[in-house]
Amino acid sequence: MSLNDTDLAIMKGKRLYLLFAVLAVIGVAAFFYGLLGQNPQRAWQAYLINFLVWSGIAQGALLFSTLMHTTKARWSGALSSAAESFSAFFPISFILFLLLFLGKEHVFTWLHQDLHGKEVWLNLPFLFARDFFGLGILYGLGFAYLYYALGSKIGTLQPRGKIRTLLHKYWASVDLQRCQSRKSTFGILYMLAFALVLSLIGYDLVMSMDPHWVSTLFGAYTFVKAFYTGLGGLIILAWLLYLKTENGFGLQLSDFHDVGKLFFAFCLVWADFFYVQLVVIWYGNISELTGYLIERTMTPPWKSLAWTVFTMCFILPFPVLLNRKVKTTPRLMIPLCSIVIVGIWLEHLLLLGPALSRDAVVLPLNFTDALISLGFLGLLLAAITFFLKLFPELGRVGKHEVMEWK
Amino acid sequence: MMNNSVSSEMTYAKIDQTVLDTLSPATRPYWITIALLLLGILLGAACWLYQIFVGIGVGGQNNPVAWGTYLINFVFWVGIAHSGTLISAILHLFRAGWRNPIARAAETMTVFAVCTAGLFPFIHLGRVWVVYYMLPYPNQRGLWPNFLSPLVFDLIAISTYLTVSSLFWYTGMLPDLATVRDRAEGLRKKIFTVLSLGWTGEHEHWRHFSRIYLFFAALATPLVISVHSVVSWDFALGIVPGWHSTIFAPYFVAGAIHSGLAMVLTLMIPLRRIFHYENIITLSVLENVAKTIILTGLIVAFSYATEYFLAWYSHNIVELETFRWRAVGDYSLQFWIMVICNTVIPLLFFFKKIRTSLAWLFGISIIVNIGMWFERFVIIVGSVAHDFIPHAWGLYTPTAIELGILLGSFCLFFFLFILFVKHLPSVSMTEIKETAFAGENHDG
Amino acid sequence: MTDRHHVLGLFTDDSRAAAATDRLRQSPWQLQKVFSPVPSRKLTDALKLERSRAGYFTLCGGIIGFISGFSLAIFTATRWNLIVGGKPIVALIPFFIVGFECTILFAVIGNIIGMLALTGLPRYDNLRYYDPRCSGSHFGILASCDADGLEGLTGFFQQQGAEVKVFD
Repeated sequence: MSLNDTDLAIMKGKRLYLLFAVLAVIGVAAFFYGLLGQNPQRAWQAYLINFLVWSGIAQGALLFSTLMHTTKARWSGALSSAAESFSAFFPISFILFLLLFLGKEHVFTWLHQDLHGKEVWLNLPFLFARDFFGLGILYGLGFAYLYYALGSKIGTLQPRGKIRTLLHKYWASVDLQRCQSRKSTFGILYMLAFALVLSLIGYDLVMSMDPHWVSTLFGAYTFVKAFYTGLGGLIILAWLLYLKTENGFGLQLSDFHDVGKLFFAFCLVWADFFYVQLVVIWYGNISELTGYLIERTMTPPWKSLAWTVFTMCFILPFPVLLNRKVKTTPRLMIPLCSIVIVGIWLEHLLLLGPALSRDAVVLPLNFTDALISLGFLGLLLAAITFFLKLFPELGRVGKHEVMEWK
Repeated sequence: MMNNSVSSEMTYAKIDQTVLDTLSPATRPYWITIALLLLGILLGAACWLYQIFVGIGVGGQNNPVAWGTYLINFVFWVGIAHSGTLISAILHLFRAGWRNPIARAAETMTVFAVCTAGLFPFIHLGRVWVVYYMLPYPNQRGLWPNFLSPLVFDLIAISTYLTVSSLFWYTGMLPDLATVRDRAEGLRKKIFTVLSLGWTGEHEHWRHFSRIYLFFAALATPLVISVHSVVSWDFALGIVPGWHSTIFAPYFVAGAIHSGLAMVLTLMIPLRRIFHYENIITLSVLENVAKTIILTGLIVAFSYATEYFLAWYSHNIVELETFRWRAVGDYSLQFWIMVICNTVIPLLFFFKKIRTSLAWLFGISIIVNIGMWFERFVIIVGSVAHDFIPHAWGLYTPTAIELGILLGSFCLFFFLFILFVKHLPSVSMTEIKETAFAGENHDG
Repeated sequence: MTDRHHVLGLFTDDSRAAAATDRLRQSPWQLQKVFSPVPSRKLTDALKLERSRAGYFTLCGGIIGFISGFSLAIFTATRWNLIVGGKPIVALIPFFIVGFECTILFAVIGNIIGMLALTGLPRYDNLRYYDPRCSGSHFGILASCDADGLEGLTGFFQQQGAEVKVFD
């Protein structure tokens, strides 16, 4: 690589970081604008929704890598590398989680309610502690997996820069076989933690906002959403890498076809988990459970939001993704995946809105929320860019990491 | 890298020979087994006949437990059917080549399990002679079936599943039926000529067949999930505590696959030994089934834990009492059998030594199915026995008639399966050849 | 009708069969069919086959099924015009289950109809120019020629490394 190319690359990198920093600043500014306005609860509502959605995307994306590794899938080496870049958001997500509690009065609607005995579970110190440890364990296992995954892939290459040199020093002390087996172990542990911790987060930060409503599938529903959006985010990133890097990051069109099929499958799984809860609660008609549903799907202003969410997350993607060629057409896949992510964002609003903005007459959604979301997006993109710049060789690993599905 | 689910010494000719050898005339042990199973079926049929003449009351179901072993068996057998479709359809979509050696037997297991399951709605009808009321036709009073009822959903779902699995099974077998036709003589040749519909493997046939098979797999996949969801909704759409739970649909589907995979092991391990399929159904195939059982076992464990946690979280006194009683009440033995057999024992498959030992694989597969039968017992019987009003609590014990029918159903399933393996190719020669073929063509 | 001879060339691997197919196309003889025990990419490419239209049958079946399922449920519900169980008469949420199952059922039936229509099965007369080894391990190419081309065609197959079987 000539000096000019390197300069160009660095400049490009700096420009990207600048863009993301601007987005983040806009987000923070909009957030403070909301906080200092008439209704600080709205700002915290947006914060919570964004924390859940963007963390979910990052957690779900890493799950792709662990899943492909555990099932010894043959096709996904380069995609797994792209997926692993999302885990750079984990530390940011963790800090955002801590900051969430600054707004506890606005976020946790049950804080001063009489919970008829549930206080032993729904009290702030316990909730904070269990979610703190849960996320800590999840992210810790994710990083452990990542450490060994990267070590297996690029541990033997020459490092550049302080962080890389340090990492390579550690990697040198572990031989390849041990690296691979530890990678497998942490992959499985991450997947177990994913199911358990995301269920916990779903119960604690979404379901319990309506403290007297219960849905046993809610935990699983939460982690299905995270994987669905994680795949969406991965597809968008993969297309950008394929189109904008010199060797296409080692990706091939068949990779897009396969991950597109997986995305389609999870579109169906999401819709199935949504419907399963809907039909059971609707049919049983037990008032303790139906209130939640009626408010969100049958009364204004939430009714139209419910239909919008269902359209964006299922009715639109389903027929589009049936077509084979769509999956290898970036002009269609990138907008489609973006629509799905926005749809799931709105779905979080649908679930949390009636609890956090009680008695809302108009949908509590405006420009400020969009700007706050852009801020979070900027943070995620900055994290991904940081990762990809730290490990540029990942784009050349490609199919070398493949193992056969035996 | 070679796909080592099939041993590399298997040439096309050897594959054909190994499978076609299994169709040779049966030996005495085979006929004795068939005779014993037939006795079991006749016993079950006799019990059912007795019930038809004397009345449904000869079973143990009553107030409050109106659904007993007949429903348990129904859900059990539908569950077994599901992993057959998982293996043949879903793993085909994922291009998991290790499923090829067991796909045919798994599909067969599906078809026969659905047939067995399908008997039970008839068996537990009080007046089985008017079962045609369920058909959608206008009677004298213009009454139609109630399509709001979960039982009618069941009827539609199970009949769709039976139709689709049978067609999938038969269509997938066409190339193999042609292979048998081409090697057979006399009466067998005539029969297989008719059955294979004139398949010749010409390019036009394959062109359409590959696509059609793919669509079958793509359609069977959501069908599998929907059918056992519909079966779970027989319970979840009611308001009974312990039944009315949103997790039921995925929980039942995972449980179904769990028990079905165990049944696959139970069937494949003896089959492999008796028919000398060791080079086709290799140990790594069985190992992969065992690994999948770990996954489904974990999902089932997750579901149990979730139900308990949320019963507590809801602070609903009826839910709390239902789940407390399950663990320590009158049916606590069945509960603990369920938990240990379904969630703890399969974890042993984490150890390579265990999942590569035929004895352990076979033993654990039986244990898992015992556990899954008891899971249905705990859910179906245990919930209605102890629901809202203490005054209405009551227990249930299966009667001898019910146990006779239970035995008959197991005998029927194994009878059909053993009949099949001697008369139709129990391993898909075409798909094994495709695996070997792909292996050669991927080298270099 | 001129007397045509049918010759079957049997190969043990598909690359030679594919090569023979290519050469046969440039020859004066007519390629009739290609038999194989397993679907072969090389042969499909050599024959330049189009994608099968079976999917349209499946899709049609699915659409018909979707409409039928809902229609059946809605029609029968409206025959008994009383609210039962607190649920509306036309209850789309549970009726979706009926619609979904019927969609799959009819799509599968469409699939089968598509297969029978497109492959022409069941058909028992096409076993005439066929060799049983084609369902075992051999790839067969069936070609036809008129009476004087027989020697040339036979020679052509032998040159390609095939075993030859002549029908007439």
